[in-house]
Amino acid sequence: MQTTNPDGQRLMLRVENLTHRVSLETDTLTILKAVSLEINRGESVAIVGRSGSGKTTLLGLLAGLDTPTEGTVELDGAIISRLSEDERAQLRAHRVGFVFQSFQLLPALTALENVMLPLELAGMNAPEKRARELLERVGLGERLTHTPRQLSGGEQQRVAIARAFASDPAILFADEPTGNLDNRTGQEISDLLMALNQEQGTTLVMVTHDEQLAARCSRQFHIEAGELTEPVAQVELAH
Amino acid sequence: MAATKKLMSVRRDWRERDVRVVLAALIIAVATVATIALFASQLQRTLVSSASSFLAADRQLEAENGRPVPEPWINEATERGLETGRMVEFSTMVFGSDAFQLVSVKAVSNEYPLRGELEIQGSSEGSRVQVENGPAPGEVWINPRLLRLLDIQLGDTLEVGSRMLTVAGLVLREPDGGFSLSALAPRVMMHVDDVASTGVLQEGSRVKYVYLFAGEEASLERYYQWLQPQLEPSHEWEGVRDGETFSRSLDRAESFLLLGGSLAVLLAAVAVAVASRQYALSQRDTVALLKTLGLGSSGIGRLYLKRLALWGVTGMVGGLLVALPLFWVLTRLLSEALERPVPFQLDSAALTPALLTAVVSLFAFAYPPIRRLRNVPAMRVLRSQPGETGREALPDMLIAIVAVFGLVWLYAGEVSLVISLLGGLALLLGALGVLGWLLVATLRKVRGGGHAWRLALVGLYRHRRASLSQIAVFAMTLMLATTLILVRTSLLDDWQGQLPDDAPNHFLINIAPDAVDEVADYWEERGQPLDQLYPMVRGRFTELNGQPVKQVVSKDQRVGALNRELNLTWMPSLPADNVIVAGSWFEEGQTDGVSVEADLANALGLVLGDELTFTIGSDKVTANVTSIRTVQWDSMKPNFYMAFPPGGALTNMPATWITSFHLPKDRKSELNEFSRRFPTVSLLEIDNIIERIQEIVRQVTQAIEAILVLILAAALVVMAAVVSATLQDRQREGALLRTLGGRQSLLVRSTMLEFALLGGFAGILGVAAAEAAVWALQFRMFEGAFSWHWQVVLPIPIISAVVLSMFGRWQLRPVLSVSPMLLLRRLE
Ligand SMILES: Nc1ncnc2c1ncn2[C@@H]1O[C@H](COP(=O)(O)OP(=O)(O)O)[C@@H](O)[C@H]1O
Ligand SMILES: [Mg+2]
Repeated sequence: MQTTNPDGQRLMLRVENLTHRVSLETDTLTILKAVSLEINRGESVAIVGRSGSGKTTLLGLLAGLDTPTEGTVELDGAIISRLSEDERAQLRAHRVGFVFQSFQLLPALTALENVMLPLELAGMNAPEKRARELLERVGLGERLTHTPRQLSGGEQQRVAIARAFASDPAILFADEPTGNLDNRTGQEISDLLMALNQEQGTTLVMVTHDEQLAARCSRQFHIEAGELTEPVAQVELAH
Repeated sequence: MAATKKLMSVRRDWRERDVRVVLAALIIAVATVATIALFASQLQRTLVSSASSFLAADRQLEAENGRPVPEPWINEATERGLETGRMVEFSTMVFGSDAFQLVSVKAVSNEYPLRGELEIQGSSEGSRVQVENGPAPGEVWINPRLLRLLDIQLGDTLEVGSRMLTVAGLVLREPDGGFSLSALAPRVMMHVDDVASTGVLQEGSRVKYVYLFAGEEASLERYYQWLQPQLEPSHEWEGVRDGETFSRSLDRAESFLLLGGSLAVLLAAVAVAVASRQYALSQRDTVALLKTLGLGSSGIGRLYLKRLALWGVTGMVGGLLVALPLFWVLTRLLSEALERPVPFQLDSAALTPALLTAVVSLFAFAYPPIRRLRNVPAMRVLRSQPGETGREALPDMLIAIVAVFGLVWLYAGEVSLVISLLGGLALLLGALGVLGWLLVATLRKVRGGGHAWRLALVGLYRHRRASLSQIAVFAMTLMLATTLILVRTSLLDDWQGQLPDDAPNHFLINIAPDAVDEVADYWEERGQPLDQLYPMVRGRFTELNGQPVKQVVSKDQRVGALNRELNLTWMPSLPADNVIVAGSWFEEGQTDGVSVEADLANALGLVLGDELTFTIGSDKVTANVTSIRTVQWDSMKPNFYMAFPPGGALTNMPATWITSFHLPKDRKSELNEFSRRFPTVSLLEIDNIIERIQEIVRQVTQAIEAILVLILAAALVVMAAVVSATLQDRQREGALLRTLGGRQSLLVRSTMLEFALLGGFAGILGVAAAEAAVWALQFRMFEGAFSWHWQVVLPIPIISAVVLSMFGRWQLRPVLSVSPMLLLRRLE
């Protein structure tokens, strides 16, 4: 397991020749075909594409939630497919944060406890203090004891963002973070996400439908039927 | 670790439906098993001690040869730390002011009684008092009837032989009186040291020396082993087992209780299994999230193992908290029934099965599905993954079956019970397989439409897997509950039938042959006809097929019948409550042969054709076994191990006659007149004993009823577990149907029909399996004949159909009362 990066590598994520297939009842379905990409530290990257094109699958593989059929993913210097499941869990606990379309807060826990959870799992000191700070940062300082059911969608996503940044991750994965929100709220959430990302200097990998949000990232990857079309530089796109 | 801790806290868990079901099932199982085990061991202890008190000791040594046993025998017992006491029993005439009466004297030493209670009344107006010792030297206590018969008062003197003794009390209850038919004339109790001075006992008098022993079971056994080689044939060593009369009835109660306990365990196991699988499914999202946040699968495993342990502890503590007060109440009831204090004594060994039940239920039924949570892919947070197919659950089933076997066996210690129940279950699952196949084969062709019936059938087909498993669990639950209800019904009917209100409560013994008609007429005239009169010849069974019987069957020393004189009889026809199990009853005019009681035949290994020789006084009679019959020992009628045909081998032997009859309580005083008219006829009053037995039966019935309620509660928990398992799916479907424009009434009717079909099927299967199990049980445990129980068989499927369809309707409530949009959102 590798959680630090002594030689200060420039690369945060390197993907080579990633192919993912699932076997169905009659035949096998290839969801991703030979995807290769590299993402640098501190970069913010958007993955865009039509529904069903394989974005979520790719994100799951990049984050080590799943293992690919072929190819390698090197995350923060560790080759994911060579780690055991528990080692991958450790890596996620210390280096990776997540934001989901459907928030994924535990309904039994309060906002504060939801944010504390990853801190406790990573065995960090003073989890409550850190969680309070973050919740105040996302504007929910007054709602610490509320459970997810007592919060609106936007507020829940704020809690999720606070949770994602809680363990001070090196990289943050977000799967359509504004997908379940109305335009205005989505806008606010995007602002918050980008701002925190800036402040913390986190690498951000985000799947989104929201063109405006994608446009705020430094790079975009387009995916079509499981294949990557070349990454387009922000600058070119602006022309 | 505030958040993680909270995530795993039982208090939070309690808010989750499935966890509530698991905990409730565990609590009920532990409570039922603990209550039953505690009560059964209490019953056992109490019975042994009340059987002991029939002997006034733990063991008795009787010498019927008219001579005391050698002094060293008693010294040896004392040296071994046993308590001892002695009694001398004989019959004699006593004289009051100007009347005399044949009485049965019991002269006792200071230690009497070693066990049980002696109750007397010390003055004519005084109340009953319990005393620790017998009368002091110079005093006698007498049966109250003697006051009238001899026309004397308390405080007067009674002439026994050449001694004048003061009547200092009335004997109301003696611990060792009552069940023995040899307690002949009215009782006079005196001190053993006064016996010699009466001069009544001469060389050759009929007298019985009885020695009492009490102490540790092991010491008693060792003492007996030391003593046994020195005993002569006229010495009889009697233990508690021989004092049985109502212990037989209570044996059945115990069997029933054990059966009930096993069923509770099975029901709880089903509930735990269903609910924890459900719980595991509901936890998958949480597990996926925890994994995403960095908890490894071993961490997940530990987390849930801890939680299981917490459940286990909660179940045990909760179960015991329910069981203890319940047991306390049962102990009170028992103590009331027995009219004596029964200590509230917790037998910690009896708690082991209860606690083990919790542990095994959790680990065999709850752990497997929860363990599989470790394998939930983290990817689930991003995309819902294919769920379990049910195939993973197959090994669980095997573990569960083995565990159930083990538990029930551990608990009831009855292989036949386990086999009957599991046989019933296997039958049920087999039938279910066929039903499943039929369901798929026939319902496939039904197409939905506007019709409620068709929708219901389509519904069944569409949820066939869920439907079948629901039918399976309902049927299983119904089977177990029905089995219990059926067994309870037959047990209680049997019991109440066994001692009807007009059961004989008095015995007349020692009726001289020429007085038989006169005695019968006496009661006939007073509207109180006697039951059948039997001749009685006392004889000892001495030879089997020409060999001394003690050599042939020396291995089984517990056959008390071998040690003492048996009551032999002849009778023209088989008593109504006896049943021939081998051979045939005597033909008209047949004079050879003997009919032997089945338990004795079994214990001695007697078979048809064996030649039995009895020694009667100085004579010997010989007969071959021509039939073996069972006897209703607890019928309170004269019963005999050996019955000869009229005109058979016994004919010329000296016989007295015996009978029993029922005399209502308010006519008790008539007995005095009878005794005066027939002074030589002995009267044995067992009305008190019968009342006590009836009281015990009533109280134990109440205990059984209480436990039945507990078990039915377990059944309800199972039902709730199963139904709530598909709650969300059905609500979502209902909401969709409404969104797509389905009419409410159609939705209601088709759902109710679907559930009614489920309930009906389950009811039919469950009842059929229950009948099968009861059929098997009846043979092995309760020795009864099997009959269909239409009054239970018919209503149960109907009730189950109705209740389930109501339940389906009730489930739909939220779907009907809320806008479909809101509902779909909420169910998201
Ligand atoms: N485990 C799986 N089994 C079958 N099909 C899958 C599985 N995972 C993904 N797919 C399919 O692969 C395609 C890509 O899915 P996904 O990555 O979720 O796309 P996106 O997130 O871009 O909408 C979809 O057509 C989806 O149905
Ligand atoms: Mg997606």
